[in-house]
Amino acid sequence: MSNPAVPLPSPPLPPPPPDQLDPAFVNDATVIASGVSIWFGHKVAVTELSCSFGPGVTGLLGPNGAGKTTFMRTICGLLPPNQGTIRVLGRDPRTDRAAQHDIALVPEDDAVPNALTARQLVRYTAALHRIADRNAPEQCLHGVGLLDVADRKVAGFSKGMRQRAKVAAALVTNPSVLVLDEPLNGADPVQRVALIELFQRLGSEGRTVIVSSHVLHEVERLATRQIVIIRGRLAAAGEHRAIRDSLADRPRSVLIRTPDPRRLAADLLALESVQGVTIDGAGLVVTSPRAGDLAEALPVVARKAGARLREVRPLDDSLESVFRELLR
Amino acid sequence: MSVATPPVQGAAIPSPFVAVVGYTLRACLPAKRWFGVLLPCVGALLFAWITQAVDSEDQVEAFAEISRQGLFGLILPLACLVIGDAVLGADARAGTFQLTWLSPVHFGTIAVGRWLGGWIVALVTVVPAFALGAVIAGMPEAVGPMALAAAGGSAAYIALFLLLGVLVKRSTVWSLAVVLVGERLVGGELSGIGQISPMWQAQQTFAGLWDEGGHYILRDGMPDSWAAIVRLAIVAVVCLAVANWRLARMRPLSGDD
Repeated sequence: MSNPAVPLPSPPLPPPPPDQLDPAFVNDATVIASGVSIWFGHKVAVTELSCSFGPGVTGLLGPNGAGKTTFMRTICGLLPPNQGTIRVLGRDPRTDRAAQHDIALVPEDDAVPNALTARQLVRYTAALHRIADRNAPEQCLHGVGLLDVADRKVAGFSKGMRQRAKVAAALVTNPSVLVLDEPLNGADPVQRVALIELFQRLGSEGRTVIVSSHVLHEVERLATRQIVIIRGRLAAAGEHRAIRDSLADRPRSVLIRTPDPRRLAADLLALESVQGVTIDGAGLVVTSPRAGDLAEALPVVARKAGARLREVRPLDDSLESVFRELLR
Repeated sequence: MSVATPPVQGAAIPSPFVAVVGYTLRACLPAKRWFGVLLPCVGALLFAWITQAVDSEDQVEAFAEISRQGLFGLILPLACLVIGDAVLGADARAGTFQLTWLSPVHFGTIAVGRWLGGWIVALVTVVPAFALGAVIAGMPEAVGPMALAAAGGSAAYIALFLLLGVLVKRSTVWSLAVVLVGERLVGGELSGIGQISPMWQAQQTFAGLWDEGGHYILRDGMPDSWAAIVRLAIVAVVCLAVANWRLARMRPLSGDD
């Protein structure tokens, strides 16, 4: 009698061999996601995401609601993947408590124990991770510029200060893998620079630093390698220049302000890279399927038409529009 | 750490268990929660005072009845609910529990540390209030049994409410339902429920140990005095064991959830 066919669960996808490495994977991976899918009821947050992270800073990009936070929480073990596997330094962060020795998360949300002072918060995290160096909390508070206010309750902190307190609490555990969910939210410009330098230094020390953001230029400053997630799927991966180059010719609208928009409009319409032109007061809104070509041609056309360009500004340069194009 | 060394030398870092207990006392029980705990304690004193105020021929019987209806039937579960919900359920709902969950500390250490933190609060608030209540009622011989019953009852209750904080999202509503429907309504009729009810077992402890008036409220078919204390300890241990198991399967909420 033959046994009835039993569907076997599909094994997790192994990372590709180094000689044929996909840009979503790195050779010296410390965090490996293999075919990860996560859903909440009928809502799918992450779909068959396979990628890896290695030492250094990697940016995790995506518009709001793309699944970045869910993916990061899964990397840390807070959520189990419904399908696929996550391995952090070869261990399952969800089931292997020892894996938590190596992971630290700076969550995006504002949930910090308000009754604690910054020092108590950092010392609590240090105690949970059995950090023996009694000076480590002070060093971390000093590192994020909170030592002077370390005995103030976190409840009285600004959003940026809370964020820095969370960063200090994460750093005190001396993690190999640091997961930062929108860590620059609320930080003032000076602190942004300091935090970016700190994260870069941590990356250069050989730690795996994963930083999420929906602000493209911020991640560009932080990380050379980026993973782009859109609607829970991997949309692009690799060095940020490669991603930007691939976006150069996406259709976009550009606002051009000039004293004589009609004269310039006629000449622009003759260009192959221009799809349409709308005159809007003292400005022109030019739609172009190949923004790169338009950028090259515009100064030449303006010089020929004798038009002075007062302002040239992309109208749809938000990351969301960039991501929409990536998804096509 | 690669950051520059600051001039300040920090204090010694405690063990994870001590840190969890300390966190429970500091972070889980802020000033508002303490107010919420102290309010029922004042209620306990008022209930005890009623014994003196009521015109009753038998003061002992009056205090026994007030203990049953007011102290063990209302004040003890309410005060412990405020504490028990704070030690884990409220922390989980606020999204701050992920800070503790994301650590290599064993879940058993977290569960027991949180419970102990809560029980310490009960020992310095609920237990003295119950003991003082016996004094106010003019029953100094009931101080010991009352304190022991309150200590045992609060230990079991806090473990039970901690467990509910791990099991369900709306732990306060579920905790109230367990007390009002499960223990008071159903437990009053079915002794099987009473056998594992912190409310009934705490009352049985008091009734069994208070020689003068315990017989007024002693319930047949259930353990009393020290046997009830053992039962309360078993309830607490079982609740903490299940909480430990459940913590491993928990999906700690973030502050945005």
